[in-house]
Amino acid sequence: MSTRQYSAAWTAPILILALTAIVTAQNPGAAPPGRAGGAPPPRAAALVDLTGNWVSLITEDWRHRMFTPPKGDYASMPINAAGRKIADAWDPAKDEAAGEQCRPYGAAGLMRLPTRLRISWQDDSTLKLETDAGTQTRLFHFGPAKGEGGDWQGISTATWDYPRPIFAGRGAAGPPPGGALKVMTSRMRPGYLRRNGVPYSANAVMTEYITRLDVPGGDSLLVISAEIVDPEYLATPYWTSVQFKRQNDASGWKPTPCAAR
Amino acid sequence: MRHVRFVMCVLLTVIGVTLAAQQAAPGAQRAPGEVKPSPAPAIDLSGYWTPVMHEDAFERGAGNEIADYGGFPLNEAGRLFALSYDPSRVTLRHHQCEGYQAPYQMRSTGNFRIWEERDSRTQQLVAVHVYGQTTEGHRVIWMDGRPHPPAWAPHTFRGFSTGRFVGNALVVQTTHLKQGWLRRNGTPSSDQTTMIDYFLRYGDHVTNVTVVNDPVFMSEPMVRSNDYARVPVDHQAWLYACDDGEQILDRPPDYVPHYLFGKQQYAREFAQKYNLPLTASLMGAASMYPELPAQARAVANPDAWFSPAPGKPPETSRAVNPEPRDGQIHVLPVRSNVYMLVGDGSNIVVQTGDQGAFVVDTGEGKLSDKVIAAIRTLTPKPIQFIANTSARVDHTGGNASLGAAGQDPSLPGSFFVNSAPRGVTGLFTDPLSHATMIAHNNVTVRMQARNAPADAIPGDTFLEERRRKFHNGDAIEMFYMPNAVSDGDSIVHFRSADVIVAGEIYNTTHYPVIDIQNGGSVHGLIRALNAILDRTVFRHQGEGGTYVVPGHGYLADEQDVVEYRDLVVIVRDRVKALMDEGATLAQIKAARVTADYDTRYGASTGPWTTEMFIEAVYKSLRGETGTK
Repeated sequence: MSTRQYSAAWTAPILILALTAIVTAQNPGAAPPGRAGGAPPPRAAALVDLTGNWVSLITEDWRHRMFTPPKGDYASMPINAAGRKIADAWDPAKDEAAGEQCRPYGAAGLMRLPTRLRISWQDDSTLKLETDAGTQTRLFHFGPAKGEGGDWQGISTATWDYPRPIFAGRGAAGPPPGGALKVMTSRMRPGYLRRNGVPYSANAVMTEYITRLDVPGGDSLLVISAEIVDPEYLATPYWTSVQFKRQNDASGWKPTPCAAR
Repeated sequence: MRHVRFVMCVLLTVIGVTLAAQQAAPGAQRAPGEVKPSPAPAIDLSGYWTPVMHEDAFERGAGNEIADYGGFPLNEAGRLFALSYDPSRVTLRHHQCEGYQAPYQMRSTGNFRIWEERDSRTQQLVAVHVYGQTTEGHRVIWMDGRPHPPAWAPHTFRGFSTGRFVGNALVVQTTHLKQGWLRRNGTPSSDQTTMIDYFLRYGDHVTNVTVVNDPVFMSEPMVRSNDYARVPVDHQAWLYACDDGEQILDRPPDYVPHYLFGKQQYAREFAQKYNLPLTASLMGAASMYPELPAQARAVANPDAWFSPAPGKPPETSRAVNPEPRDGQIHVLPVRSNVYMLVGDGSNIVVQTGDQGAFVVDTGEGKLSDKVIAAIRTLTPKPIQFIANTSARVDHTGGNASLGAAGQDPSLPGSFFVNSAPRGVTGLFTDPLSHATMIAHNNVTVRMQARNAPADAIPGDTFLEERRRKFHNGDAIEMFYMPNAVSDGDSIVHFRSADVIVAGEIYNTTHYPVIDIQNGGSVHGLIRALNAILDRTVFRHQGEGGTYVVPGHGYLADEQDVVEYRDLVVIVRDRVKALMDEGATLAQIKAARVTADYDTRYGASTGPWTTEMFIEAVYKSLRGETGTK
């Protein structure tokens, strides 16, 4: 085979692969913003509109979430012996003295607190989620993560999620309409999964699926299904799902500082 | 070498095309938030799933404390129902095997199995089945576009569900639910509850979001979510057998465990144990929102939350009236050859077969022509017998018309026609021009007393406690229920079909009528309701089996009657307790002894109001009776 023949034989698949790489990179779930041409930026390609004002509906784990439970009350939570040891040593006064009163407001615990949310696009590829409880801000970055992390909210990367086949089968109708926002958060400053000192470590990784449900004839709901994996303090992944109700305005929005108790 | 290169080229091409196909951006063609129903399954839920108990494990395991209703948008009726609830109620044999209402079923601890049902020829999706191990709770979610049943169709613990795929969710609408609980410390969910729930799948994680609407016990929708993890293998434990049995002997049949308003001695323990504001878990919808702690600490008179608010007028029913008011007669097949006809006031039951039709009650008589036409669609035979469960006009209004449309071929040439005197009404004189009407003798007496037309008055009367007849292949029994709604009530049991016609003794639409003037009493009514329960046999988990046709309302079964019996007993006990303390009728009414049931059955106008019901209970307990 001559060089010319060799090149011709490989040109087609290499071209296809190159094009594929471009398409893949331009996918709204993975593309960095501002790339010229191709798919629209994540904001324009949003599968669902999550922006607006939302209020938490504390209808599960009510006593543990609405009020600060007593020390050692870690019912439901799959913590291991190391986690129990930390939880049993919880001392809110110590947290206050150390300036650590925001421990319950870190990303892994924040969404389960009674709070209101304000969600907006910070730019075309960054979704911003603010809470009035603890006056916290989470940033969901589409594309490469930004920052070093190590703070309460850590680093969150976002993609639009929908059921995808591993291989495109014959007769497949393509992806269905709708979907969820998938957020992966890591590099968090150690905090509390529950107000009473049930811990998560700096190695914890949280995966959230955020879905909007428009109830026929009723409210719009935001449902966050979360999985937290923490090799230090959890014996198994910790799964929860919480819900928020959409508000037409910002009524009730009342930013408050972190409180350790 | 050449062959290898060719294969590599093909492979790379396939991979490239595949990747490109996978990366198609679904949002690029739509505006954000625009989500349309998907005609094809958007997600596959099939498989074995186990509930993840990382939330509310205490509720779903050991069970919550009394008065822990935090996060439930209960209205006053819901709160009072829950505070009145005594967990010992489940020791009553008719409550022992009850299944879980669908919203609670989804929170049960056992494993779940989900599978698709497809048409064998077209492979179109017909239904999605969700089977819960606990209580063998089997939900069928119809995906074939069929409508929900009419309002007069039976209610079940799992209800009737239809679904569609919207976006990445299976969205399910459920109606026709039985009364149940949302939490097993008595937090109620009525038979008027409807639910929309969503199934979302993220890999091996399914989240089910339930949005529960209950106009009876809630002031706004209740939203909760349940998580399930995929299990790769069948754990092979899917059954949940239950047979009831009396474990506490010598309890009177009219005993229903409950607490009088304000007398639940354990109601404060929950708040005290966890150092919560006393009312925090009682504040209904407010308890769901972030402002609760401050609001609960600001409550001035916490004790007021444990009893009905004084001076408030009675609430009225928020239930859907299942009786159609469209001027038409609707036929609901009950079982085998028994049908329920709806539309002319009270329910009418028709049994068909080789012999003439056997009809129980005839409605108000305003649509008798349509009733007769409907019966003719069920059988070519004439109406042969009409049984009246009561003398009330809404049960006998069509007697004359339906009677005249029938004939009783069993009588010509018989002793009754040839030899007997004309009898009370003379109806035996020309049996081929008239159906034979059967009722307890007191029905005839009461109808004569109000000068009802002679051709509407039953002529075939009985005095004993049981009248029987084998007709159309079934054993039919009429049981006299003395001094219940009145002194002339009967129930009719089609034994083979296993259908009981309860007449006015049981309704799903209003408080039970107790006609003191015509011999009714609360004691007799409770006896009659228990007599129905003595004859019912549930099919599974407390529901199904024997059908009970109410005088008014939807086709019912044992569990519906049990809840109604409980209501009557509990209200009677409350009235009696106040009478024992010396309360007057006015004071008893002011105490709002029906406050937890008024949003279901209450009425402030019409032929039977809440106040009339309370007054009838009061008079019964004073021993006031009508003259016979």
